[in-house]
Amino acid sequence: MIFRAVEDTDLISRVRRGDLEAFNLLVSRWEKRVFNYLLRLTGSPDDALDLSQDSFLKAYQSIRKLDDPARFGPWLYRIAHNEAYSHFRKRRPETAAEGVDAAEREAAPGFPMDLSLAVTAALDRLNPEQREAVVLKVYQGFKFDEMAEVLGCPVSTVKSRLYTALDLLKAELAPINTRGTR
Amino acid sequence: MNTCHRFDELRDYAFDELAPESRHSLEQHIAGCPDCAAELDRMRLTTAALRLLPDREIPQRIAFVSDKIFEPSPVRRWLESFWNSGARLGFASACVLAAALIVSAYHRPAVNNAAPAIAQTTAVPADLSNQIDAAVAKAATQIREEVREEDARTLKAALDDSERKHDQERRALMVAMGENLDFMQKRLSTMTVLASNDVGVRP
Repeated sequence: MIFRAVEDTDLISRVRRGDLEAFNLLVSRWEKRVFNYLLRLTGSPDDALDLSQDSFLKAYQSIRKLDDPARFGPWLYRIAHNEAYSHFRKRRPETAAEGVDAAEREAAPGFPMDLSLAVTAALDRLNPEQREAVVLKVYQGFKFDEMAEVLGCPVSTVKSRLYTALDLLKAELAPINTRGTR
Repeated sequence: MNTCHRFDELRDYAFDELAPESRHSLEQHIAGCPDCAAELDRMRLTTAALRLLPDREIPQRIAFVSDKIFEPSPVRRWLESFWNSGARLGFASACVLAAALIVSAYHRPAVNNAAPAIAQTTAVPADLSNQIDAAVAKAATQIREEVREEDARTLKAALDDSERKHDQERRALMVAMGENLDFMQKRLSTMTVLASNDVGVRP
């Protein structure tokens, strides 16, 4: 990860000198992760793809404002987070940031249907803030301080959201866990 | 619900966010606290179940190069490439400097004592150029003589050296021929003696 961070830093300095190909490399490195983050927030592959596109466009346009190139990841996810919440507000102004209905989600291909649906349903029962905390920690592997940067809130709030979500998920997924350990 | 006083630390530990100095003591605590050990197992099982949900492949690559909206304007691209090219920037600086020199030359105020300087230049003695030509011709002749003498010395040294080498080679050849001749004579004598012995023994 350190080696990768150094390389990202190098690419960012090249982008700042006008090297478009360097940004293409950054996109190819980060697009799958950003897409999956947005997919787990929105539940729609089409929306996630559009939002990913918009996020990378915003990132390119404002990359000179990035103070610390070593923090490119959290900075990029902050942009994606803002894009997602802006999308929620436009789509359903009265229920902004509610995420997506469980019915809209699809089971992950190549994954056992019952487990996939159970985990997806459990995530859908969380509120958007809790779900996003789980996605950032469990699926994207961010540290608490990075999550705080992405979400724009204190570390204590991040931990509170994550641990509350985990308590709920433990109860929801207990039958699966029990079955898995049997 | 776990009521252990180290429960919050346990959660941080489960996500590898506990400070290194607290890790060891918490691990010792977990070994002796069944509630914390069970809670840690539950958290790990839950996160493991969540991680079973795989990432999806992106349905299509983010179109970046092909999308013109991403590209900066032509003026901005030219400016960026200009500022990023040291050679172009150096050439432009040289052009600006040259232009400044030309403008400065055109706008320099006239010098009043220019006429006397020109008069002095024209007042140079007429035979000075003849003296200079004579001196140059003399120096050229002297240099040619020196070069010719140097060439002659070099040629003579080369000839002497070549003759000496040739003489050495000729002597070495004569010595070798003499040795060969001696060898042939000895061999001929040996054969003659053997032949006479054969004739004497035969009945």
